[in-house]
Amino acid sequence: MSAAVPTHAGIRLQQYLWRHPGIARLGVVLMLFAVWEIAARWFVDPMFLSPPSKVLFAFGDVLATRGVPAALRVTFFELAVAFAIAVVIGLVVGLAVGLSKFGNRSVMPIVLLLYGIPQITILPIFILYFGIGPASKIAFGVTHGMFPIVMAVVAGVQNIKPILMVSARSMGASHWQLLRYVIYPHMIPSFFSGMRLGMTGVLLGVLLAELYVSTAGIGYFTSVFTQNFDPTKLLGLVAILAAMAIVLNEFVRRAEVHFARWRD
Amino acid sequence: MSSPRRKFKDRFASRLVQVGFLVVVLLLWYLATTRWGVNKLLLPNPLNVWDQLADVIRKGEYLNDLRITLTELAVAFVISTVSGTLLGYAISRSPYLIKVFEPLFAGIYSIPIILFLPLYVLFFGLGPASKIALGTTISFFPVVLSTIAGFGNVDKVLVTAARSMGASDYQLFRFVLVPAALPVILSGLRMGFTVALLSVIGSETIASLAGLGHRIVNLAENMDMARMFAYIVFVIAIAASLNTVVSVLEARGRRQR
Amino acid sequence: MDGAAAAFSVILPDRALRIENLGMTQAAIPDAAIRVRNVSHQFGEVGEARHVRALLNTSLDIARGELLCLIGPSGCGKSTLLNVMGGLFTPTTGAVTVGTTPVHGPMPHDIAFIFQESALFPWNTIFENMILGMTFQGVPKSEREDRARRALEAVGLDEFAAHYPSQLSGGMRQRAALARALSLETQILLMDEPFGALDEQTRMVLGEDLSVLLSRSKKTIVFVTHSLGEAVFLADRVAVFSARPGTIKEVITVDEPHPRKPEFMTSAKFHRLRDQLYGLLHEEIRKSMSQSAKPKRAYEDQAKGDS
Repeated sequence: MSAAVPTHAGIRLQQYLWRHPGIARLGVVLMLFAVWEIAARWFVDPMFLSPPSKVLFAFGDVLATRGVPAALRVTFFELAVAFAIAVVIGLVVGLAVGLSKFGNRSVMPIVLLLYGIPQITILPIFILYFGIGPASKIAFGVTHGMFPIVMAVVAGVQNIKPILMVSARSMGASHWQLLRYVIYPHMIPSFFSGMRLGMTGVLLGVLLAELYVSTAGIGYFTSVFTQNFDPTKLLGLVAILAAMAIVLNEFVRRAEVHFARWRD
Repeated sequence: MSSPRRKFKDRFASRLVQVGFLVVVLLLWYLATTRWGVNKLLLPNPLNVWDQLADVIRKGEYLNDLRITLTELAVAFVISTVSGTLLGYAISRSPYLIKVFEPLFAGIYSIPIILFLPLYVLFFGLGPASKIALGTTISFFPVVLSTIAGFGNVDKVLVTAARSMGASDYQLFRFVLVPAALPVILSGLRMGFTVALLSVIGSETIASLAGLGHRIVNLAENMDMARMFAYIVFVIAIAASLNTVVSVLEARGRRQR
Repeated sequence: MDGAAAAFSVILPDRALRIENLGMTQAAIPDAAIRVRNVSHQFGEVGEARHVRALLNTSLDIARGELLCLIGPSGCGKSTLLNVMGGLFTPTTGAVTVGTTPVHGPMPHDIAFIFQESALFPWNTIFENMILGMTFQGVPKSEREDRARRALEAVGLDEFAAHYPSQLSGGMRQRAALARALSLETQILLMDEPFGALDEQTRMVLGEDLSVLLSRSKKTIVFVTHSLGEAVFLADRVAVFSARPGTIKEVITVDEPHPRKPEFMTSAKFHRLRDQLYGLLHEEIRKSMSQSAKPKRAYEDQAKGDS
């Protein structure tokens, strides 16, 4: 970053970047893209890698490929349904386990045991039971997404500062009021961070299942593009999916920030 | 206040629930295959699975796949550990660099990196290289992020105190920075290991020529259910023991810092 | 416990009587606001690692309208006693009566608490915190807003009603906690080191405010502190605790009308009383420091034990 001959403009640029790390970050990203562009243009077989400039102009082509828009819709549908189911299961199980000390002590180790299983090993079973359509992807997404939500809800219900409960009881709060005015609002932020982790899990589960076997979703097209040695379209499709993942993550993250705004 | 007797009863009851859960699952599985006539192609008899598991282990048939999977895992984890800790340390030395790079890594980490698998397969082929590449990419982020967090958040007072006592750069690193940062870094390494293992087996499942993940898929395609279940149990056991070893190492590392 | 409490109401007629208690005597007070009789409390069971005898056979009467400070070494059981008085803990043995009612649980209509850390609900604004306290207590909806506003004005926080606790300083948070307790309009305030986490200047100002408030409101206040100066400045009587297992070693009277001025703090009387307290405490503090380290805050133990 330090120029060999510190010119006036050079120093100004340095000071500007110093004050704006975000701009410097953008510079780093652009540099990486430049390296990629140069590598792809002059050093790597175009059968395997396309330069980003080409990928950028290929987005239209990708979306115009027959079946791709429908595949994206299918994948989005799978993600949305899996996420919704994971949230409902996570919330219900989390509350049931978290609100009772006995439930927590007896069931939580089972939850942790199941969560610890590398689920990828049982993916073939999911396909076997739920078929190669969206059902298996949704099911696999649900089992990946629900555990973090369960654990976050349990933590949110249990990690309340004892003094808040004692204080509420001293003012005469009933059991219902403790639940409604103390436990519930305390749980909300961790529920939302659980949902963020759950979204990560759902994305992982659905995409794993899609990539494993697919006839209509994006998994089908990634394998087609790979087999046809069409890196441009493959990169374009991956970029579109990454963008979709970023948007979904960001959506949940915003919700989390919104509902946790009372935290300092 | 609960009496010791009630506490004991409570603990006993919760153990009972846990053991009961496992027993009921196994029992339902058994009854489903023997009494309720569930198709053997969907769910094999647990006793069959047990026999197959014994057979797999006795014949040592798993050895080659296990070797491949573990090699991929080891190479991926070593690469991401070395690169992640070195880069993380370098970045952590400057608050400015942290501000530039930390959000970048965190941002990339938040997208499902499994998406790159088709690219890696295209680029590196169906062999171990694509698995190593994916495992490295995925485990790099928790390692580098935790290294930045570990070294970046060392209490300034500790550094000032050590300097005031005349600590050299090396002494500062060895006796202050490393011990202070180690717990965070170790948990990052543990997470990196776990995700590397998952992504290696995952990419073997999706597109590969060999390895434990590949074996499971192969058996699924041949509809050899009992043996597939046996392999699933085997792989879960391997993964659980590896994760346990890593957790124990992490705990020991924390204590010995 | 019921039997014991009933027995006391029979044994204790409205006349002064002396209670034999470990060789020291305290006058029983007629028409006391709170009576504590032979209270002992332990956490955990004998033989368990976390077993602690927090309080040993303690008896004490608190007169209506007085401010009584409990002072003693860390972990001596003064907070435990406060929690027992307010019905947050059920003592292992012994009994507490408030007025004529035996205490078996929280008494939100008679007793309001103020804790060391602000126990404001962080997800509610200051105003919502006031309203919520009154909701818990059962105040009719129509009265809540009015009372909340008055309480906030009384502590000078009316402009911060819409702030969240995290947006206020520690001192302001404790003012807000005080306002919430005031809005409950109880006769008794139990304060557990309410200014303990604040800096010296802030606690002096809050102490003065509290003295003014007391002279106006005629509330009965029990105030736990570990600051000698705070105890002498605020209290009508100071009960000095022994090291663990705690019991009351001596009660000192501070004969000075409320509201107290800052000048009181520089008077000879103040210094004499402070020195007297220090003399009483010094030995106990040494004793308690040689006991096991790290006393937990009592209610944390309790919350883990029975929630």
